[in-house]
Amino acid sequence: MTPVLATEALVAGYEPDLAIVRGVDLAVRSGELLLLLGPNGAGKSTLVKAIAGLVPVHEGTVRLAGVEITAAPAHEKVRHGLAFVPQTENVFATLSIEDNLRLAAQVLAKPRRAGRIAALYAMFPDLAARPASRAGALSGGQRQMLAVARALVVEPSVLILDEPSVGLAPKIVGEVFERLRAINRAGVTTVLVEQNVRAALAIADRAAILVEGRIAHLGPAATLAGDPIVAELYLGARRATAQ
Amino acid sequence: MLDLFGYGAFFLTMALTYAIICLGLNVQWGHTGLFNVGVAGFVAVGAYASALLTTPDAPGRLGGFGLPIAVGWLGAALAAGLATFLVGALTVRLRADYLAIATFGVAVMVQLCVLNLEGLTGGPFGIGFIPRPFAATASDPTLFASLNLALLVAVVALLYLALERLLRSPWGRVLRAIREDEAAARALGKNADRFRLQAFAIGGAIMGLAGAAQAHFIGFIAPENYQPMLTFQVWAMLIAGGAGNNRGAILGAIVVWALWAFSAPAIAALFPPDQQARAAALRIVLIGLGLCAILLLRPRGILAEERTISRHLPPAELKTEKPSHET
Amino acid sequence: MNPQTLLEGLIAGSMIGLGAIGVTLTYSILRFANFAHGDFLAWGAYLALAISGTLGSLAGGLAAPIGPFSFGWSLPIAAVLAAALTAGLALLVDALLFGPLRRRRSAVIILVMASFGAALTLRSLLELVFTSKPFYYTQELQIAMKLGSGMRATPDQLLCLGVAAVLVVLVHLLLTRSAIGREMRAVSENPALAGVVGVDVRRVVRTVWALGAALACMAGVIAGLLVQIRPQMGLDLLLPLFAASILGGIGSVPGAMLAGLIVGVAEAATVALVGAEWRAACAFVILVAILLLRPQGLFGRPD
Repeated sequence: MTPVLATEALVAGYEPDLAIVRGVDLAVRSGELLLLLGPNGAGKSTLVKAIAGLVPVHEGTVRLAGVEITAAPAHEKVRHGLAFVPQTENVFATLSIEDNLRLAAQVLAKPRRAGRIAALYAMFPDLAARPASRAGALSGGQRQMLAVARALVVEPSVLILDEPSVGLAPKIVGEVFERLRAINRAGVTTVLVEQNVRAALAIADRAAILVEGRIAHLGPAATLAGDPIVAELYLGARRATAQ
Repeated sequence: MLDLFGYGAFFLTMALTYAIICLGLNVQWGHTGLFNVGVAGFVAVGAYASALLTTPDAPGRLGGFGLPIAVGWLGAALAAGLATFLVGALTVRLRADYLAIATFGVAVMVQLCVLNLEGLTGGPFGIGFIPRPFAATASDPTLFASLNLALLVAVVALLYLALERLLRSPWGRVLRAIREDEAAARALGKNADRFRLQAFAIGGAIMGLAGAAQAHFIGFIAPENYQPMLTFQVWAMLIAGGAGNNRGAILGAIVVWALWAFSAPAIAALFPPDQQARAAALRIVLIGLGLCAILLLRPRGILAEERTISRHLPPAELKTEKPSHET
Repeated sequence: MNPQTLLEGLIAGSMIGLGAIGVTLTYSILRFANFAHGDFLAWGAYLALAISGTLGSLAGGLAAPIGPFSFGWSLPIAAVLAAALTAGLALLVDALLFGPLRRRRSAVIILVMASFGAALTLRSLLELVFTSKPFYYTQELQIAMKLGSGMRATPDQLLCLGVAAVLVVLVHLLLTRSAIGREMRAVSENPALAGVVGVDVRRVVRTVWALGAALACMAGVIAGLLVQIRPQMGLDLLLPLFAASILGGIGSVPGAMLAGLIVGVAEAATVALVGAEWRAACAFVILVAILLLRPQGLFGRPD
């Protein structure tokens, strides 16, 4: 079964001589919600940015449904079905909600556009309320919803989100995660980078832990939830010496 | 044979006056990262200051001080330094491209003032009878040319040594730190701007000195000597020689001036005598293409400086990734 | 200020505004001050001159003045063709010079320096081909019409005012209502995000160059029609163009036109009060004032 998204021995980093992602093999299964965890500096964000085309890839490949997209420019990856929601500045603040969505819909064939936008307004009624308002005027949570809605316009084969809960009030975080779970259950394969470990594990199918640019652990989310390995990898506690 | 020497000396002397301008620009750009697109204006200030101080009386114009040449040159450096300081006080905090536009505007204004304030500058007629150094030896062309050349060589050499000293001094080290490390610059806060302003003014003063040297060497100045073309030539010289590098500044000036001067007869020969304006235009086209070529092919210049200007200057390319602060 | 001075200022200002729109678009999307913009303007004027002259000599009827205007059909046709050619010129310069520098992640100042070089080259090419002798689109003289309140304007001037107004509205509509306009605004705000959303950023960049150059060409044709055509015309307008685009707020099309009108009127007032030889100082004073007091201009976003 071809994975929806796969990387092979991926090495990537901003500078040509400094690799932050140091050889990552990943295979995302159709329909799953895969969580990427790891301490600060581990390379989670860099990994997804490299997949999306924002960070240069030094070695290795990225495949979407078997098709290699490693070196394709970012906008072409969108056409192949990849949707990426960056952590910050993930909507166009100077454009209206409507314009943000229409911009994303541009990738689709003309007959499909209006229908997709209408579908998203139905999914996110908050956005439908005032489509002409500037995205910059939205609250943090609403902006995040717009970012996700924008990504879903193209009916992506895989949705990648980089720490969507950052900067949001805890209550809003809960709502965001509920949404993401619902979207995933509706059939959208999702890759989620998160620091909010507990809440994210609750909605994930599998989780991978990145340490220093490599995957140190990969397994079902449920078993990881109570596993001391999570604490160890995050806090660096030594397993051998009991504290 | 002596004629060739005379020509060579003349050529080299002119080239060295450009070298002085380049050294001044190097202080502003190479060592401080300030992008001055109004070089011609500051050169003009120096030239006119010196001319006004040293020329005899002229009807309808301020002047007649008849002071010694050395006073003129000193006055030129001070006047240009002061003008640059004032401009810098207003603009040194601006981002790079706004500074470029602002200094461009300054040069346009200087040209305008020099052209219109006839009572001060002689207007479009310019100022003539500017005393030449070693004028007493003018009857012996070879001696005259050699003495002038020697003077310029001495000035350039002294300037070079002084600048090298200055840049290795504590002041110079702070300047380098500001240029290389924007975070350090920010930590210094207002003080960083003070250093930049000082460097800007010093560079401007040097340009003024060069303007005076040129004025006294040629004996006559007019507004049309200080067009954007001059700014452009100096930039081409500095880039070609290697920005950030005083030796590069001098070398670039001589090399580009050589190309400029020696291409003149060759290109002029391509056009009939009544079309010489076209020949001049062709020369400018070639130097324009030359600068673009250097920027594309060898932006570090001939004597490339090892260190980059600053990796923290924002890249022009539309940023397709952001520097990572998180994972 | 008397109404006539105001009118003259508005007419000159509409020309500056049209050029400033091109500057503000390229500045906000390409993120550098293009010192060669004035010379695209000049090239546009000369290209229109060459084409118009050729058309006129091929079919004499085309040169015959239309109605109250001083020019025949050869000029509007030439203007449209020249706009396409100027767009092509800008794309060529980008392909050869700015594009490679951008892809190499050169600092902004390098791009500005290169634009300075390109400006000088383009200007001197014009001088090489045409010399610095002034040219005119037509030898027809125009009589100024009385408009009331002591104002007079020639039919040509009023037409140019109208053309500038129409073009501003069209560009504004393009930017706010069309798909490509949306893409341009997106790239102007955040090119990285634009790529991630599916926008072909390189295509947008090319579109901006073409649009900016076409507008510059129009401004050049207007300047050539109302004043004269010289190789230096672009350089002379550069400072007012920069002043207007910064005053209006980089990225704002209505801002650029409004600011252009302000600069035009201010220049006319300067000429009336102080003298024509000081006209160029006006734009400089406005520029410095804006940079010191409110660098984001009237409608721009604070940096």
